[in-house]
Amino acid sequence: MNPERWQQVSRIFKSAISLDDEARAEYVAGQCGVDESLRVEVEKLIESHQRASEEKFIEGMAAEAGAALIIADDEIEKQSALNKGQQFGSYVILDALGAGGMGEVYLAKDSRLDRTVALKVLSQDISSDQRRMQRFRQEAKIASSLNQPNIVTIFEFGEVDGLTFLATEFIDGETLRDYLRAKKLKIGEILEIAIQVLAALDAAHEARIVHRDIKPENVMIRRRDRVVKVLDFGLAKVTEKRSSVLTDHDADSEAATAFKTAPGLVMGTVNYMSPEQAQSHALDERTDIWSTGVMIYEMVSGLMPFKGATTSHTIVQILEKDPVPLTQFTSRQAPEELQRIVSKALAKSPDDRYQTAKDMLIDLRSLKRHMDLDAEIQRTSSSGSPRVTVATDETPHEPNKKRVVIYALIAMAVVTAAIFGINIWRSSRARTNASITPPAAAPVAERSLTYWITVQKFRNGRPYQPPFTQPGEMIFEADYQIRVNIRSPQSGYLYVLNEGPPEASAQPEFVVVFPSPTANSGSPLVAAEQLVQIPEQSWLKFDAQQGTEKLWLVFAENAVPELEAVKSFANPQTRGLITDPARNKVVQNFLTTHSSTKPGYEKGEALTTLKTPQKLLVYAIRLEHH
Amino acid sequence: MKKNPPPQQHHITELLAEWSDGNQSALDELYPLVYDELHRLARRYMSRERKGHTLQTTALINEAYVRLVDQRNVHWANRSHFFAISAQIMRRILIDHARRHAYAKRGGGAQQVSLEEAATVTPDQSLELIRLDEALKSLSEMDPRRGQVVELRYFGGLNNEEIAGVLNVSENTVTRDWNMARAWLYQQLTGSGAN
Repeated sequence: MNPERWQQVSRIFKSAISLDDEARAEYVAGQCGVDESLRVEVEKLIESHQRASEEKFIEGMAAEAGAALIIADDEIEKQSALNKGQQFGSYVILDALGAGGMGEVYLAKDSRLDRTVALKVLSQDISSDQRRMQRFRQEAKIASSLNQPNIVTIFEFGEVDGLTFLATEFIDGETLRDYLRAKKLKIGEILEIAIQVLAALDAAHEARIVHRDIKPENVMIRRRDRVVKVLDFGLAKVTEKRSSVLTDHDADSEAATAFKTAPGLVMGTVNYMSPEQAQSHALDERTDIWSTGVMIYEMVSGLMPFKGATTSHTIVQILEKDPVPLTQFTSRQAPEELQRIVSKALAKSPDDRYQTAKDMLIDLRSLKRHMDLDAEIQRTSSSGSPRVTVATDETPHEPNKKRVVIYALIAMAVVTAAIFGINIWRSSRARTNASITPPAAAPVAERSLTYWITVQKFRNGRPYQPPFTQPGEMIFEADYQIRVNIRSPQSGYLYVLNEGPPEASAQPEFVVVFPSPTANSGSPLVAAEQLVQIPEQSWLKFDAQQGTEKLWLVFAENAVPELEAVKSFANPQTRGLITDPARNKVVQNFLTTHSSTKPGYEKGEALTTLKTPQKLLVYAIRLEHH
Repeated sequence: MKKNPPPQQHHITELLAEWSDGNQSALDELYPLVYDELHRLARRYMSRERKGHTLQTTALINEAYVRLVDQRNVHWANRSHFFAISAQIMRRILIDHARRHAYAKRGGGAQQVSLEEAATVTPDQSLELIRLDEALKSLSEMDPRRGQVVELRYFGGLNNEEIAGVLNVSENTVTRDWNMARAWLYQQLTGSGAN
């Protein structure tokens, strides 16, 4: 709320709360006039006022709660082995944070680097167990190699005066568990958290580290910036072992061991266990996918997807039950797509799940963008700004439909299949030019365009043969059906054309894919960050013939006259096909002029590349079908 | 813990007067002195009273005031200033403790620690304090006076009359400010408000 708004609200609120219900409603309505959102804000605040009074909210003193804290801290300090201000190796102890089974935790300052760390000093019985220490050390080493913003950084693992310690990043925040207790999260926030958890898992899985214990207690949200941090990488095993009375097991059966021997102690863990984990089968990355699915389910519904009266009942549910779809929790308005993602993560067989954290991440990000965009549209349309219409896709996807692969050819280089997350961008230095609208001496605009391609992988539950290939790399394992999402941080003119495989001695055919009467209402002008999905509400079906298809993306600062004309072709009758030979020629010339080809690295084939034009980006995505 | 020697009354009295006259750097010097004294007193009170007793913030601040400030050489307005800064410092002390607690409870970073034996406070209490503190910061950005009313009342333990004195406004204004501020904080903490 900005200060003016606040003043406005507070003025009305002040007078309103002294009135009785009826007079109040009338007064508030009168004061707010046509400003509906102001009225809503005032009324919400009045309601909060009434509830706060009833509940005697903050009527007591902070010190009432604080008194117990002060006592408890005194106790901790008395029990701690290290004192405040004490030097411990290169660390200076700032505070005792707590103590428990594994040892004591301190807030400390690393005097070498002047940084604050959480210092965990392991208890004697742990550090005297050679085997455990060996594994602990090894895992700390692996975990410390994971350099990812959503993973808690391990700084050092060492020994001082015979005491083994672990120094990690100190995170001032709260666990997702506490977070969930405190408030109901919005779908957008849930997606944001899930995305960051999966980003952490993706990095860990790349390094062949399986977390095995993803649950809200192991996810922290930093207070300062709401960055999500996943805790306990590679360390869960060590702690689980503690609750086990059996002596030695290999790593994979350890979680199950804990469950069998001390179900009560690991109750919290059972709920997030994957079927393979519950059955002591070998575990791989996909167990983390499952647990993340459970966590998302819980965040959305407030309920555990699998929960029985006892641990055994819960296990049975994990193995057999399909949870109530999230879309049935009507108060949450969970999108169909989210339900699809979660149910895919919760497939009983690991083979039916997302195979990698990356795949799931992609789908969640895509959904998030979608929702952000919808919110944006609602905002702009309700405030009477210029109309922004974009391709939105609200139809539910069929299950198991998407896989994302990016393939692009840009700037005299071939970027071969990257699995995901590559923002292909290119800056084009707009030279001083009268037609540039920003103020004189405007900074050079950095032009960039992000796009990603999703490819259908299954149809009717059966996987496809990979039809699109690229020498050296597999590109599309798809049924010739792909979807392209495009977004640019700046507004501009976007044209997308599909060039089919050339038939012998014939002109290549161009199909105008964007804009179209349904996509963006025929306008090539897209807003900054606007998400363009091609095709809208369906999959772009590529020709099944052998040969090379191209998808041309042209993004320009100003409208491109040669391509403006194509708007008229983008009609349902011709399905966007440019039938007029003259027009076809104009388009072909434009694309040829603004791109160049050079010999490919195989069989002398030509690769379409970018010719660096001013104020214009031309990308050609080449799809080969053999 | 080492015992601090009683801070010099004279010095503190001077700092308080300087700060009241608008010298902000005096506050920087004053702050840690008052923090230590209040913290020390709070701990002493608590170890004497033990659980089940509440910490009487005003009594605490009064005692700190008497101990720290030379009564003969102090202007009445300085007392208001002392209460204002003490409320702020009590807030800091409590939040420092709460943060430490919330952190310890969740296990100190990269590993699980069961803290049943160490924690005598439910984490919810400390988290609630922290959240309130955060929300109060946002409130103070929009509306510093209402923020201060909450600080003085909730953290400083002052009543409306005393707050009116400190802020130099009418008691009615304090009541109205409190109503609005509390409603807004409630909304923020329960998530019942619009974003």
